[in-house]
Amino acid sequence: MNQQELDGILQKAADLKVFCEYGQRTVPVLDEIASFVRKITPAIEDLRAVVEVSMVNIPKAANQLGRVTQATEQASTDILNTLDRMVATLDEVIGSVATGMVSSELGAATKKMAAIVKTLVDKSGWDEDIVKLAEAWDLHLRSMRMSGPTSNLERLLKDLQNDCTEIMMALQVQDITQQHIGAVMGTIEAVAGGLQKLTNGFFGTNTEENLPQLSNLPEQTEQENVGETERKKMVESLLMKARAGQL
Amino acid sequence: MTSMKILIVDDSITIRRIITNALKTVGFPDTIEAANGKDALEKLTNANVDFIITDWNMPEMNGLDFIKQVRANPIYSSLPILMITTRGTEHDVIEALQAKVNSYIVKPFTPQELKEKIEGILKTLQVNTV
Repeated sequence: MNQQELDGILQKAADLKVFCEYGQRTVPVLDEIASFVRKITPAIEDLRAVVEVSMVNIPKAANQLGRVTQATEQASTDILNTLDRMVATLDEVIGSVATGMVSSELGAATKKMAAIVKTLVDKSGWDEDIVKLAEAWDLHLRSMRMSGPTSNLERLLKDLQNDCTEIMMALQVQDITQQHIGAVMGTIEAVAGGLQKLTNGFFGTNTEENLPQLSNLPEQTEQENVGETERKKMVESLLMKARAGQL
Repeated sequence: MTSMKILIVDDSITIRRIITNALKTVGFPDTIEAANGKDALEKLTNANVDFIITDWNMPEMNGLDFIKQVRANPIYSSLPILMITTRGTEHDVIEALQAKVNSYIVKPFTPQELKEKIEGILKTLQVNTV
């Protein structure tokens, strides 16, 4: 063994010493990492379970919101149908009241009297007194139509009709809530999408095929948190600017 | 009462009925309906429409895209359009106005409000054409 070979062995021994020293330093760190992994494994398993349950429950929640929307839409349609019938009935009643024919007996009697007066006028050869009687009868009819109880009834019926219109307009709430529910469903879909990415990337499982899909979700819109009056004012102000060519 | 034919475009059947009834009570009984922008474009070609009332959020073709298509067609480009929507942010209103909507209502609305808006649009258009 010459000097050169000896130097080579010494160098290798020095390298081995460095490696052993490095190993001595890294082994405790590796032990700590292993201990940490052992500790967090149950937590990761718990998280995976939570995520998987959420991935099933979130679309279920979205579907339930969808069913709320369907139910309110059906209820609104039923209410609108009833209101339409009420308005049509009120139209008929108002028409009858306006022509002074509330009572069928009164209507028949009035028509009979009108026919008698007309015959009298014709038969009398337009006698002055009979014509005056016909004019007086006409005046009487008109005053009957404008009499207190009848016109009051007409007014009350019109009030009822206006109330029906107000109920109808209030049903806009169905569409407004539907839009808000749609926005919430959009958020839910985004959360579900995020969780799906997490499960695919972090846990290495592809749950996409097994999960119920959220479908036909309305577009989510960001709404400023302002009252109806303020919003309408803002719209009017912008419309005015647009008309003035300032937009 | 006026014989003006109004096209109501909204995906909600409830809202279409509400608008139809509201229009009747304020003297505009002649209406036709469409469930989205695409459907409305077909209705436009088949009926003599004088006025359009449209929603924004709709499937198939939304209200804004529908308005843009209407404005791009020389036959309908000057047709009055009123947008009735739940979208009420400043950005929304500006976007609609830039698409050349004539006026804008944020739901909920009243029949009187609807009447005033329609009459306002018609008055403005008359002034502009004189």
